[in-house]
Formats: sequence, C-alpha cells, structure tokens
Amino acid sequence: MKALTANDLLSGEPVFWSRGRWAERFADAEIFDGEAAEAALAQAAAQKTVVVEPYLIDLQQTEHGPVPVSFRERLRALGPSNHPQHGKQAEGGADIEALAHATGAARSSGRLELIKRH
Amino acid sequence: MYRYDAIDKEFLADRTREFREQCRRRLNGELTEVQFKRLRLMNGLYLQLHAYMLRIAIPYGTLTSRKLHRLAHVARTYDKGYGHFTTRTNLQLHWIKLRDAPDIIDQLAEVELHSIQTSGNCIRNVTADPYAGAAADEVDDSRVWAEAIRQWSTVHPEFSYLPRKFKIAVSASEKDRTAARSYDIGLRIHRNAEGELGFEVMVGGGQGRKPYLAPTIRPFVPAERLFSYLEAIMRTYNRQGRRDDIWKARIKVLVAALGAEEFARQVEEEWVRSGDYADIPLAEIERIRESFGTPAFEALPERSEVFEAAKADAAFARFARRNVHAHKQPGYAIVDIALKNPGETPGDCSADQMDAIAELGARYSLDEIRVNYQQNLVLPHVKLDDVPAVFEALKGIGLAGANMNLITDIIACPGLDYCSLANARAIPIAQAIALRFADPEKAEAIGELKINISGCINACGHHHLGNIGILGVDKKGEEFYQLSLGGSGEADASLAQILGPSLSKDQVPDAVEALVGAYMREREPGERFLDTLRRVGPKPFKEAVYAEAH
Repeated sequence: MKALTANDLLSGEPVFWSRGRWAERFADAEIFDGEAAEAALAQAAAQKTVVVEPYLIDLQQTEHGPVPVSFRERLRALGPSNHPQHGKQAEGGADIEALAHATGAARSSGRLELIKRH
Repeated sequence: MYRYDAIDKEFLADRTREFREQCRRRLNGELTEVQFKRLRLMNGLYLQLHAYMLRIAIPYGTLTSRKLHRLAHVARTYDKGYGHFTTRTNLQLHWIKLRDAPDIIDQLAEVELHSIQTSGNCIRNVTADPYAGAAADEVDDSRVWAEAIRQWSTVHPEFSYLPRKFKIAVSASEKDRTAARSYDIGLRIHRNAEGELGFEVMVGGGQGRKPYLAPTIRPFVPAERLFSYLEAIMRTYNRQGRRDDIWKARIKVLVAALGAEEFARQVEEEWVRSGDYADIPLAEIERIRESFGTPAFEALPERSEVFEAAKADAAFARFARRNVHAHKQPGYAIVDIALKNPGETPGDCSADQMDAIAELGARYSLDEIRVNYQQNLVLPHVKLDDVPAVFEALKGIGLAGANMNLITDIIACPGLDYCSLANARAIPIAQAIALRFADPEKAEAIGELKINISGCINACGHHHLGNIGILGVDKKGEEFYQLSLGGSGEADASLAQILGPSLSKDQVPDAVEALVGAYMREREPGERFLDTLRRVGPKPFKEAVYAEAH
C-alpha cells in the first residue's frame, strides 16, 4: 500500500497525489496497490514546474485508516512537533489524530531511493 | 558596525537581481530543479520537510537594531512570525515560499543583510567573538578581521567551488567564545613576545561523522601576512582535498591523512611560492576598523550603585551572576539574553521579541546586538546603571532567563521537526530535559553544564562539544539517542566520547538526571561537571545511566 508525495514548487509544502491533482492533506491522498503507483509517479515526475522530487511512500493500515509507515513521513503530513499550531496538524480532524497517534517505524524507502538516485 | 561601501551595495543589488531572474526561470521551466537547486543554495534557500528554509547570514554575529527590526519584519510578513538562531550565528526562517524569496532577499539587501554563502562548497559566514569590541580580555577586535575575511572570501573565484564547505572562526582572547578548534580554520589573535599582533592558526577541525579538533599548524602568523597564509592553506586544500567522496571531502580529513606536520610543511611551501600578493595592506584593515566606528562610551565610575542595589531582588541577582559580564569600559557590562526558556525551542525568537530586543539594543546598547553560537543573543554595551531596566524589559517579553551555561541553556539543531537531513528530533529532547531542570535554583546548584543535541551525524547541534552530547540516530526508522560525555568548545577543547548503547526518546531525561546525580555525588568543591568527569572518568556516569535508565 503506497501513496505518492512531493513538495509544491511554489510554496514548498508537502503535497499528496490524488487522482491526477495534488492535495494538501494526507487524508486526500490516493492509495495505491500494485503498478498504478509507478504510473502515477511517472506522471508526477513530468510536472516539473508544479512539484519538486515526487516519490512513493509506504503505508500501513490502522483502525483509523492508512498512515505512512515512516515516522518522517508522518511528521511531514502533520507539521513540527514543537509548534502544533503550524503545518497541516493546525487544521485538526480525525485524519490528523490518526497520524499523530500512529506507531510503528521504518525508514522512508521512497525518500532513500530518491537520495540514491542523486 | 561595518558600513557597506558603494561596491558592496552594487554587488548585493546585482546578486538580488540575478536571484530574482533565476527564480523566474525555474518557475517557467527554463531551469530544472537539479539546475536550480545549486543556485538557490548559493542564496541560502533550502527545501525542507514543510516548506523552503532561508538561512540568512548574520556576518560575524553582529546586528544593529535596524537589521534586527528588518529580520522581525521578514519573519512576520513572510514566515510564521518567528525565526531560529543557529549555532553558526545565522537566522533560519523555516516557512518560506519560493514565490516570496526574491522579495525577501531584496528587503534584506536594503539593510545590508543577505544569505550569500550560507550554503554550498565555499567559505561560509565567518564567526567572531560575540563579545568583540566589548570584552575586557580581548587582544583585538575580531570583527575587523572577520569582515576582512568576508570581503576576501566573498565570491573569491578560486575558492567558490571547494571540495566541501569551509568555515572560519576568529577568537581574540584566551577564553575561546567561538569554538575555534572545531572549525576548518580557527584563528586566535594574540601578541608575540615582541608585542606584535598576529594569529595562532589552527586547521582541520570539524564535527560531523568523523570529528577532529584542529591542530595548530603555526603558532604565530604576523597580522600583515594573514591573507597570504590563508590563501596558502586554501590552495593546499583545493589541490588535494577529496572530491570523490563527500564524506571525506572536508579539510579535516586531509589534515588527518597527511598529519598536521606534513600539512603545515606543504602550506609553508605554498606560502613561499605564492609570495605576499594576497596580503591586505594594514591601511585597508584600519579602514575597515574605522568603518565599525567607535562606540560613544560615556565616562562612568566602575561601580554602579543602581546595579548593586537592584541585587536585593533575588531574581535580578541571579541574572547578574549568570548573564552579566565584565566590559572593557568602566561602568558598562555585556548582557546575555538567553533564548532558552525551559519548554521552548532553543534559539527560537518571535518577531515581537526581535523587535523588542532591537529597541533595547538601540536604547541601551549603543545600537548593537550580537548572536553567539550557543543560540543566544547579546547586548554588548549596556551601562551598569541600565542593567535593571534591561532585565525588567526582558521579563516583559519572557526572555529574562538567568541560565547562561547552565543545564537548561541547551544547544539544539532544528532536527527532524524541520530538517530534511535529520534522523531524529532534537527539539523535543531539549524541551523535556530543560523542563526537568526548570527550577532556576536547582539549575544553578548544578552549575556549569552544557548539553548539546544534534538530530543527525552532521552535528549542527554540536553534540561532539557538549559536556553531555546527545545524537539522534535512526534505528530502523525509530528515533534513538546516543549519549556522549566530556566535550568542550572552549579553550580546553575536547571531543565527547560515546557513553554506551543508545536510548529511546523517553529514556533520555532520566539518563541526564542520572548523569547529574553521579556528578553531584562525585564532585569536589569548585568543580564543574566537566572537571569531575575529567578527574574520575566515565565509569560512575556510565553505571548511573545504565543502572537507572534501563
């Protein structure tokens, strides 16, 4: 289970692929199983004046829905822990709660792939 | 304060125009991200976890009230109303949008600020003694030499594409307030037996994956020969530094590989070969010195009755003990402002606080404010009579903490909360430890104890130099923290040594408390944490942590 993420070129904000467009909240991210993820990644990579460095992230299922496995990716989807009023977490909501309370850890495999490619 | 001349202003205007054009070309697709990344980094613009980050140079950590007001304005207008002072005495804004970046750079240039050479493999912003021009013990004003180095190194064609980034610090007294031995080049201004001014030159220090303290390669370079000697060092490094492996590219690796003696020999050889054409005439150094101006000190008695009387208040007395330091001018003091309220983010300062400190600088400190590498601010020229008023004003903005060099004066990098290189968060660890020791009496009873925290091996939080160093590591994606003991960035510089297996986030405050407990049991009268550790060794500390925290 994967999602596709990048940073918006103009604002630098983390964004998530959602059926052909970019959404600001992880809750709106399209969830991929199988080869569709790679196709979306190729499509996103072509949007060079829209986003920076798109990559796929691994997800895990929780009772509140899918969340990123990597702590780093959960932090991107939330915002900094020293300023809970900043970042996506400021808006609150059930999806934010799910991200904030998710446990489990792994490195961000998509991010590591990106680093290796550079 | 150094005043820009016409050449400086024209250069900055050119660079801001160029950057605006580069942004335009990136946005319309003429430049790819790979092409643009190098250009934006040359202007201090990074892309991090939540947004772009702009690293603004504060040359040798010196600000006027006008500059600090402008930083406040930029933080308020283009960011989220705060900024983060770093261990390189720069200011980082963590919520910048690319579309605003050219306007911000323009606004900074108006007050002679910029973000040039705050990134990239070039000579970065030079560090000077934060008490320069004020300290009772300084040999010379380190800002003058730092400014000369800035002029020499800015877009220097030979040194703009070095094997790796390069950092220089200038210290000017026996008490090192710059951590000079941890720099690529550390310079200590002193006088030789004949009374001539010159520099002890230390080369090859650095933290990161493989930390080194810089060995002295020449005890005395006459002041008038400094720049030819610096060029000889840079040329030796540029020729032989490793460009094939980013982890081995810093000068510290070259110096360690060759040995300090052989490196010094090659520098001497290059120095003879290249002659003195790079030396800056002392008349030019004096022009720079004059550009800083002479502060308009008043003739005052050494003792201030107002200051002494205010010590009847215990909180002020503590502030006077911890944050107020001897000034070379009778009747004046240096006042530290701790950006270290327990529970808050080390080094963070709100735009409103910046404005208030700028006003204090203008009213009470001859229009000068400094930034030190411990992520605190300094009012360098305050009349002793005015210190109580400054203290009251600082209380009003929540920055009257009297904890300089105490256990709550923690250095912490932004860590994984912001930084795309980090493995673990540093800020919440600093917050948890500081809250544990928030009682100022308890902290003062423990005495000088420096805790430095980095969120990754790049060591922006100087964990190698902490009396207690804490390094965030990634264990299969989970945050863990490795403790080290015995570091110091001062004249008695030493590198911290790893204590034992890493700990989980929740174990760290208990482990620090165990270390403090061991110190309190072992210490002899007058000993700092570092003194006790050096006397008894790590064994009782290790036992305390791994018996009590596991």
